[in-house]
Amino acid sequence: MVLLQPDPFLNELTSMFERSTETGSVWVTLKRSSLKSKVQRNKLKTAQQPIEYRCLIRATNGKKTISTSVGAKDHQRFQASYATILKAHMTALKKRERKDRKKAAEDKKESASKKPKRA
Amino acid sequence: MVYITSWDEFVERTVQLFRADPESTRYCMKYRHWDGKLVLKVTDNKECLKFKTDQAQDAKKMEKLNNIFFTLMMEAQPAKKGRGRKQ
Repeated sequence: MVLLQPDPFLNELTSMFERSTETGSVWVTLKRSSLKSKVQRNKLKTAQQPIEYRCLIRATNGKKTISTSVGAKDHQRFQASYATILKAHMTALKKRERKDRKKAAEDKKESASKKPKRA
Repeated sequence: MVYITSWDEFVERTVQLFRADPESTRYCMKYRHWDGKLVLKVTDNKECLKFKTDQAQDAKKMEKLNNIFFTLMMEAQPAKKGRGRKQ
């Protein structure tokens, strides 16, 4: 498990997506964590200090795992870059076949308009 | 494994799941390019909700969901006695 800084993590994630275009999957997991043990958390609670949460992001291609931890300050920037990477790579998903939908809509309209004329 | 068919229902239930137990809830995504499939899973180790798709339109919705989760995870633990938010 390789723990990286957010920016190298994004680079590695990009290359992971690129490498698994022909075979395999990419798994990405998001989880909240304060990165402190229960003892430390309880201590903070009793001292009534706010616990700072971080977002743990893990990615794997089945063979190699990379991870990073994002705090409140970096999370918006990370979110934007992450969204860009996903958009760029998820190209294999089917696009809505608008032509078929249009045809189906037109056929429906035609059959609806024909009936009153015939009658 | 519960596969949910409606996107809106998936979003609503996963957010509820997260709010109920933010410590143990995690959001997983699996993408297979050559298969053209995307599967989303949200679990708190007791209950599991999944959503699978092969539609590009769902990828856009998933990005919005990503933003929701990122924001939720960054929220500090909601104070039960209402000690007041950051002012």
